Amino acid sequence: MRIVTNAAVALSAALLFALPAQAQTSDKPPANAEVARGQYLAKAADCGACHREVHSGGPAYAGGYVIASPMGDIVAPNITPSKTAGIGTWSFVDFERAMRKGERPDGAKLYPAMPYTDYQGITDADMHALYTYFMQGVQPVDTVAPKTQLPFPFGIRLIMAPWNWLFRSNTPFKASAGLSPQAQRGEYLVQTLGHCGSCHTPRNLLMAETQSKALAGGDVGGWHAPNITGDPISGVGGWSQSEIATYLRNGHVSGKGVAAGGMGEAVDHSLRYMTDPDLAAIAAYLKASKPIRDPAESKPDFAWTDPRPVPLSAYETGDTHDQAAVGDSSTTDGAVLYAGGCASCHGLDGKGTKDGFYPPLVGSSTTGAANPANLVMTILNGVSRQGADARSFMPSFASQMSDAQIAAVANHVLVHFGRPDRSVSANMVADLRNGGPKPLLLKLMPWMFGIGGLIILVGAIAAARRLRARYA
Amino acid sequence: MAETFDADVIVVGSGALGSNAAYELAKAGKSVIILEAGERIPRWKIIQNSRNSSRRGDFNAPYPDMPWAHTSYDNDYLENTGSFDFRPGMLKLVGGTTWHWAAAAWRYLPTDMTLKSTYGVGRDWPISYDDLEPYYQRAEEALGVVGVDAQDQSGQNGPASPPRSKPYPLPAEGKTYMFQRLEARLSPLGFHFIHEPNARTTRPYDGRPACAGNNNCMPACPIGAMYSGIVHADHAEKAGAKLLTDATAYKLEKGAGGKIVAVHYRTSKGGDVRLTARAFIVAAHGLETAKLLLISDVANSSDQVGRNLMDHSGIGMQFLADEPVWPGRGAVQQGGIFNRRDGEHRRDYAAVKHSIANNVANPAVAARLLEQGVLGPELDRRIRDESSRWVDFSTTFEMLPHATNRVQPHSSKRDALGIPTLTVHYDVDDYVKAARPIAEADFHTFVKGMNGTLVAISPGYQNRDHLMGTVIMGADPKDSVVDGDCRTHDHPNLFLATTGVIPASGVINPTLTGVALAIRMADIIAREV
Repeated sequence: MRIVTNAAVALSAALLFALPAQAQTSDKPPANAEVARGQYLAKAADCGACHREVHSGGPAYAGGYVIASPMGDIVAPNITPSKTAGIGTWSFVDFERAMRKGERPDGAKLYPAMPYTDYQGITDADMHALYTYFMQGVQPVDTVAPKTQLPFPFGIRLIMAPWNWLFRSNTPFKASAGLSPQAQRGEYLVQTLGHCGSCHTPRNLLMAETQSKALAGGDVGGWHAPNITGDPISGVGGWSQSEIATYLRNGHVSGKGVAAGGMGEAVDHSLRYMTDPDLAAIAAYLKASKPIRDPAESKPDFAWTDPRPVPLSAYETGDTHDQAAVGDSSTTDGAVLYAGGCASCHGLDGKGTKDGFYPPLVGSSTTGAANPANLVMTILNGVSRQGADARSFMPSFASQMSDAQIAAVANHVLVHFGRPDRSVSANMVADLRNGGPKPLLLKLMPWMFGIGGLIILVGAIAAARRLRARYA
Repeated sequence: MAETFDADVIVVGSGALGSNAAYELAKAGKSVIILEAGERIPRWKIIQNSRNSSRRGDFNAPYPDMPWAHTSYDNDYLENTGSFDFRPGMLKLVGGTTWHWAAAAWRYLPTDMTLKSTYGVGRDWPISYDDLEPYYQRAEEALGVVGVDAQDQSGQNGPASPPRSKPYPLPAEGKTYMFQRLEARLSPLGFHFIHEPNARTTRPYDGRPACAGNNNCMPACPIGAMYSGIVHADHAEKAGAKLLTDATAYKLEKGAGGKIVAVHYRTSKGGDVRLTARAFIVAAHGLETAKLLLISDVANSSDQVGRNLMDHSGIGMQFLADEPVWPGRGAVQQGGIFNRRDGEHRRDYAAVKHSIANNVANPAVAARLLEQGVLGPELDRRIRDESSRWVDFSTTFEMLPHATNRVQPHSSKRDALGIPTLTVHYDVDDYVKAARPIAEADFHTFVKGMNGTLVAISPGYQNRDHLMGTVIMGADPKDSVVDGDCRTHDHPNLFLATTGVIPASGVINPTLTGVALAIRMADIIAREV
């Protein structure tokens, strides 16, 4: 592992220093190797998460995919090397400016849906490889993606200027001292290309990542991206390094959990393509990362392994010849809903299948989580994820059950198979159906008088932040 | 002056055929209303009903049989006057009868569609296999059909047939152990085993999980891996179609120029509604479609509506093999022996399809042993032993159209809405009866080939629930109801989406053909309205 990492470092270094002198050296890596490396890095950076094909089988990176952000719909632009519709006319400097500073060549600001605050730390060598790939390895597509038009005040891209001043660093990535070289490689992948914090780090009032709580868990469109710090209770400290790597590669580990929602997509679009050494490095770093614990917690989310048995009579409603009853689907009896909707795959006992094809609901980080949002989101949206090993799929129940029914079946799962001190209400389901709770910034928006209020808010937070930095 | 309509197109019936037509039209930007006599019932509820039913052999039991939306197993609703109790498992709910089927998704052979000109019996289709082929492909993509591209589905062990323009959307499932054992021992005797293309997905497809072999296709797939009309009822609604439940159509209203101007429906809550549209599709099952036309007195200048009723009337045979073959693993059927699907014999007797049923055998085995008075530990031992060796053939015959085999509105009986119930008169014809001894001879060869013990050959004929002929398709308006586009000869804006249009039955399950015709019809309507 170390040899590979060192080789990667050596290669990076070689690229870094060789580039300005390319013309003079004859043993520069062939262009196709650079393209291949850029392609790998684009996967690692999950560029395709947003710049994905709109229709399955459509052209890559042609834009048009709509990202439902809390501030409104953001349309991913065309980043193919088309000179008319994409980034084909961009110089390396232009590319680097967009990637590191969130600015287009014309100076317009990007929205931080583009994770430039993380990409900022990408090494020069990796940045060159990415540029080479996007210029030479991607098919140009001359279709202009629709423009993003956020509502006021977010439609004014200039408001990103003070935000960038507050939240964007100019410092190159530097691995933490005291970490093994493997974990340092992992730290680089997690913090720059992987932009894991985009989801897993909680966001502050202005929707920037709260660095003091890095990787301690965040909320994204109804899903909860869990704490992935090294803490054994609240984070992934209780997972072995190989379990984490396997989870990233396949999207599931028996006895720990399964990836759905955005994490399922990250596995599907990005992580399953990464090399074993890189996945091991990410795992090593996460386990070594600064543990952050929720003091209210005393047990990892996957450790709720003692199911409370359900008497079979709870599942048996008896035969009926009453045709009105045969057609009546209004029940909110969680056991009945579970038996009809869930047990065919997860088993009446919640233990799934022995081979794990249908995962257990007992001892799962989804059913044992302090926040049951992911349980509800999984029932609402199902699971569709291609891992390195297999495809996983669970159908959506959004149209088959009402809010009250989904709450009832979730509570049946929590009480009998998961974490019994948590419960779900119909209102919570309704909220999650609509994409989850709105960020405070949006809730406050009606109270602010447009941009003026925002500037005052930014100023106040800046002051607080500078003060805190001074005393930290 | 612009006339206003309630919708561009109204579809009567939300089953697989109506919903596919409705979805295609909604996708093409047309305003669509779907009328469904029954209610919307979620899958989990159907599974609850099924799991708690004491009538496991009654595949209609998990579905409501309401006084205003009867299912076909209700003797009061469907009365027979012929020599055969014609009783297909018709359901009334959103998604229709494909809630319970085994999802066989066959294409006809080109010769099936030219039966009269090739073999001198029955009728020809007015359209050719080539006309239908692109729509077969689209139907297979809609249903998520799995299949083997390189096999001769005519059963003659020749090159791949019928012709395909593209591969199957999904790869076939693996062969069950039973299928493998029967094939290994019977194919040396000259029997050609054919995989049955089917709409039970082998990988996640269009919101459905992969089939996991619950062996429960009937009465309901517990996980929704098997295709059902509910898939496209949902798709149609998402594409903008408006679906009304508890809305039983009882009258198609004629207007000027031979056009249909409105459909009238009635609800159980009381009240009649009249809706107008530019075009109408009746997709209300092979029996009910004919009934609606007859009680509306439309489309029947040929006097053929309701006549020519065909099913693939069948027989069954069970035996105990000399080795465990473990029936009941995987889907409930996987194909069978097709040597007699096509050939010169069709001049004289019906095409024959021997399907291998793959149901869990315990209930049938236990019932038989109890009838024999076997009890105690001996009963347990023999259930274990015989359930592993049980082989069940389900054989179907090709049927020819006869004007005397017919469905009609009942002369006096009315349902809770005051709408006539159904009367069927059906006799199995000599074309089928002539094929029976041939099929029975095959049975004995199968038993011998497996060194087995014959349990039983069914004495009479069995329903196969394949409704055909009742609104028969043809080129001549004098002896048929619809043309090759499924447009009624009498009314240019009235189309029928039902397997009831099929004029030559072949010997394979007709649903895929019905969906292909429905999609083709939707393309035509989309150009006209």
